[in-house]
Amino acid sequence: MSTRSAVAGSDQPGGTEQEALLTRRRFNVDEYYAMARAGILAEDERVELLDGEVVVMTPIGIRHQACVDRLTDAFSRRCTDRAVVRVQGPVRLDEYAEPEPDVALLRRPLERYDVAHPAPEDVLLVVEVADTSLERDGGPKLSFYASAGIVEVWIVNVQAREIEVYRQPSGTRYADVQHLREGSVTPLAFPGEAIDIEDILGPAPSDPPADV
Amino acid sequence: MRRSAVAGSEQAGDAGQGALLTRRRFNVDEYYAMARAGILAEDERVELLDGEVVVMTPIGIRHADCVRRLIDTFSRRFARRAILQVQNPVRLDGYSEPEPDVALLRPPLDRYAGAHPKPEDVLLIVEVADTSLTGDRALKLPRYAVAGIAEVWIVNVEEREVEVYRQPSGTRYADVQHLREGSVTLLAFPGEAIDIEDILGPAPSDSPGDI
Repeated sequence: MSTRSAVAGSDQPGGTEQEALLTRRRFNVDEYYAMARAGILAEDERVELLDGEVVVMTPIGIRHQACVDRLTDAFSRRCTDRAVVRVQGPVRLDEYAEPEPDVALLRRPLERYDVAHPAPEDVLLVVEVADTSLERDGGPKLSFYASAGIVEVWIVNVQAREIEVYRQPSGTRYADVQHLREGSVTPLAFPGEAIDIEDILGPAPSDPPADV
Repeated sequence: MRRSAVAGSEQAGDAGQGALLTRRRFNVDEYYAMARAGILAEDERVELLDGEVVVMTPIGIRHADCVRRLIDTFSRRFARRAILQVQNPVRLDGYSEPEPDVALLRPPLDRYAGAHPKPEDVLLIVEVADTSLTGDRALKLPRYAVAGIAEVWIVNVEEREVEVYRQPSGTRYADVQHLREGSVTLLAFPGEAIDIEDILGPAPSDSPGDI
């Protein structure tokens, strides 16, 4: 008998040897919402559904939030009428995954999202801000975006003052990766809208003045 | 799995990537709420282990045969001196409620009318392992040890061996024996030697056919 269960809704995740032994009961988005309705997940819990697992989001620190505000500001001004700027809201990747990226640029019109959360084809860009070391190790989440075919993902590494740009989803990875520390970054969906890195990261901490 | 300091959560994910998704652990109340809400169907074979809802492997023929033999042996030998339960829950703590294949509990029966057995009620847990051997050893056994379950047997039906675990110490058992023949005596009933063959069944015959 194979160790991979054929039971619907269950799956063996990859990962460490210990985890490969465990057939976790995966939850789909309907069950995830039923948990919220049943009060199993409290209203103010910051959770996401990734690969059928309910995952806790780390609390948002000051610099993380400030960066999200800058991104919202930059996109709103540049992409008015051409995209919907969704901040920390759900994107439904598939039946078992509904993350809440820091910022997502979605296709218009707005009415599209009155009846359903955005699907991968609605998403022009996902931006995740990584401030703490926990967030910086964004490996697993990135693979979910790639698998769903999200065309472009940025990870803003606040501490290193670097923006990682991922394009060309291919399996669970992105084929085109750039690390930008200066200059500007331009979303694939809006080739005319170069955004200064500094507008996203904020001003560099100033150097102490030299003694005269 | 590394543990997060955040209440109700636990770190998970691919250790190879260094990177962690903090899993939302569910406690037993939330687990039961899932069942009431119809999230877990009545006929799903699941257990709660360390805050995770885990699917039990389907029961194969040899597994079922071994469980029957254990029922037969234990009911005859320990009638009235212990309560025998089969694939019923044992509540280890707020985040774990496995359903071991066989468990012997302290009498009387009425003790369990209002609540699932707790670790101190358990005289013996037996897990029968055909395909689940590594999982039982790696995942369930540590949880039993941490909860202080006094004695656990893992019956390896494939290799015809009974693994006997005693003296829980942290996440491990200090006293481990692997028995392939002879008899085994429970800690709780030192006068009662049980033949290994009564648990495993007769060895498959390899005698030639009739000439």
